[in-house]
Amino acid sequence: MSTILAFPVALPLVGAAFVALTDDWTPKAVKEFPAMLIAAATVAFSTVILVRSERTTLVHWFGGWHPRHGLALGVGFVAEPLGAGMAVLAGALVTASLVYSWRYMEEAPRLYRVLMLVFLAGMSGFALSGDIFNMFVWFELMGVAAYALAGYSIERLGPIQGALNFAITNTVAALFLLFGTALLYGHTGALNLAQIGRSLAGHHAGGVVIVAFTLLVAGLLVKSAVVPFHFWLADAYAVSPVPVCAVFAGAMSEVGLFGIARWYWTVFSGPLDPHAHAVRDVLLAMGLVTALVSAVMAFLQRHLKRLLAYTVISHVGIALCGIALLDSKALAGAANLVISNGFATAGLFFACGVLLREFRTVDELLLHGRGRALPFLGVVVALAAVALVGVPYIGSFLGHSTLDEGATEHGLRWLPPLLMLATGISAGAVLRAAARIFLGWGPREDSLLTPEPPDEVPETQASRPVMVAVTAVVVLIGIGLGFAPGLEDRSEHASDRFRDRQAYVERTLDGKVRRYGPPAPVVLHRAKPSSIAYGIGALLIAIATAALGLYRRRVPATARRAGARLLDPAVAGLKTVHSGVVGDYVMWITVGTALVGGVWALTLHGP
Amino acid sequence: MTRQIRLGVFTVAGCGLAAFLLWGLAGLPGFGHYHWPYGNVLNQVAPNERHTSNVVGAVVFDYRGFDTLGEEFILFSAVVGVSLLLRKDREEAAPADRVRSDPIMATGAVAAALLFVLGLWVVAFGYVTPGGGFQGGVVLAGAFLLVYLTGGYREYHALTPHSPVEMAEAIGAGAFAILGFAGIAYAGSYLGNFLGIGDAGSLYSGGSIPLLNWATAVEVCAAMILLFSEFLKTYVIPTDDWRPELGPR
Repeated sequence: MSTILAFPVALPLVGAAFVALTDDWTPKAVKEFPAMLIAAATVAFSTVILVRSERTTLVHWFGGWHPRHGLALGVGFVAEPLGAGMAVLAGALVTASLVYSWRYMEEAPRLYRVLMLVFLAGMSGFALSGDIFNMFVWFELMGVAAYALAGYSIERLGPIQGALNFAITNTVAALFLLFGTALLYGHTGALNLAQIGRSLAGHHAGGVVIVAFTLLVAGLLVKSAVVPFHFWLADAYAVSPVPVCAVFAGAMSEVGLFGIARWYWTVFSGPLDPHAHAVRDVLLAMGLVTALVSAVMAFLQRHLKRLLAYTVISHVGIALCGIALLDSKALAGAANLVISNGFATAGLFFACGVLLREFRTVDELLLHGRGRALPFLGVVVALAAVALVGVPYIGSFLGHSTLDEGATEHGLRWLPPLLMLATGISAGAVLRAAARIFLGWGPREDSLLTPEPPDEVPETQASRPVMVAVTAVVVLIGIGLGFAPGLEDRSEHASDRFRDRQAYVERTLDGKVRRYGPPAPVVLHRAKPSSIAYGIGALLIAIATAALGLYRRRVPATARRAGARLLDPAVAGLKTVHSGVVGDYVMWITVGTALVGGVWALTLHGP
Repeated sequence: MTRQIRLGVFTVAGCGLAAFLLWGLAGLPGFGHYHWPYGNVLNQVAPNERHTSNVVGAVVFDYRGFDTLGEEFILFSAVVGVSLLLRKDREEAAPADRVRSDPIMATGAVAAALLFVLGLWVVAFGYVTPGGGFQGGVVLAGAFLLVYLTGGYREYHALTPHSPVEMAEAIGAGAFAILGFAGIAYAGSYLGNFLGIGDAGSLYSGGSIPLLNWATAVEVCAAMILLFSEFLKTYVIPTDDWRPELGPR
């Protein structure tokens, strides 16, 4: 029965309406449970879909409108393991967030729960849909819920600005997606991804296709926050409530990346594959710049949520590199990175919430040494940082090593060391903050770090044990994914299928069912020596970065002055560019889109 | 970054982007040259297999009913978002909230009633003639807004008590999604048609389209009223001794 594909979307939507209707009458003691149970049930359905999709691609046509002679009449969902996995990730993080925020929201908790369920439906729909306009609808639903959630603490000035920056930039992105969709519809007369893909295959890319591709990719680059489209993200994350940040960080940005991969391979790979190098070079360059610039920005923050936000952007850049290589191994690496980093980062945001509850601040310098009162949380945070580093066989290591192998197979030997550097710097920033807060290391002042106006934190009735427990569980999942047996082969197999446009099109439009072998035998992942070296290298860089952040003053004065003369202008420039002014952000989106479009207009054209 | 630099860079990049867009648009088929099968097939299938004479209505509630589910919830969450973000009272200059001209009030009452009936008609015949739950729902809500314009905030408030309207909104949105599940139970697919297709051109046609249509109308009408109320609440501060939460004394 393919009807199960409707559940990850329809169930949370019914749930949202149910919670909106009944919350006021529900006894206070059990008020929080309906939303949690609905989210948990959604994860269960998505997981069943994931497991079943490993054997064959599942298709469901809403309203029973099956395609006729290859013409899609209605809207269809198409589930293969990567899409279903995305839905599971989104559901798991929303569920964790709802459990974590038990009694956390003092104001309007009913609206918060309703919006979280709607947000989950939007993400699941985007991950499972096989129709470009339908994906736009879920993109919008996700956005509307997310803007409201980001502006939750509206009585303060920061959240108004952060949520506005978020809403304006992402609405520009939605406009791009709508333009791109309209162009494709005008060109092919179809909205179904498989049908557009079939119709474009075998032709050269003309102006319409190139413009549509650019707009669709640019729209999603805004959502996933890739340089120079990334500015809104740190502003939005810095002001959103912590449980919301965890879902934003772990799932929302990643949904954008997923969409880029989905649209490239299902829709555009036919006409664009002959020019794959041009697509690869542009995305790879953007990914690398994103990874490195945001890692440095993370290092320059003292507001923990903003620091983590830049870490998220840096990880998005690394995952984009994995997609950009346009190959199964690197795509599998990107997928694994998204999952393990998603859980680990969500855990770190959850830890921020505990600090906020205990000490009313998330400022690294103000928290100096105060975390000593919470030793268990300190251990969890350190573990999460280790998971982000990708120390051999832990956390993001699996993703990194698969991605590195993919890059090496393409002869891009320079790529893994650069990714190692980015990973090390951003994880180093987290380690530095952890050492300062939980061990009291380093000075109490650091003029390098960007100050942030203090937050007025509302009182909360949240239970610290629940919060810490959810934090620990989420971090442990992130760590465990590094050595989950069989995950490497399964993800690579799934990526192979994800890239197979022919199979996708035939399954969707012609109903040609392919069965895939039983899941690969459960074997432990064996990494190449080079990957292990990169993992250890990233750890050393992270430690060095953290040490530099904490004990810069012990460096001999002459070396310090020389370093300052060299780096200060660059640091000042970076800080100036991240201005917080939404007009600047829209300008950067325009510049980025025009540049990418210009390069692709010159390189993707013709045979 | 100064305003001049931002505008300058934006102008240059914007011109480039506009040229790029025009290049894409130039490759599209000319205006009026629709040569794809999709529209023609739908024009065939909808009247024959669903007995729906308004094909646009069939697209909205049947072929692409799943998009409409999403759109309905976009409106639903927009309203939730607005009431979340406007939950704090704003102190702003209060306009006079009371209309004191009898002719205006009388005309308004008649117009509001007519508008309400028009809204009902646009909804009810939405899948037979041009119209539908979305459009009709907005017209219905417009009738209430007309009460505010020609009567005053008190009359508007008395007609649209907050919590029943809020309930109606949730019920309308939830009903659409639940009708989808009924499709699973009786027709084997989410949002599948599980009623008889009836007679073309009559109100009994189109299968489950009428139900989805009415669910949408309830949701949209309630959502628009809630939006009006939220914005009016921040705009109108009743002048004398009357406050919405206390009711008329």
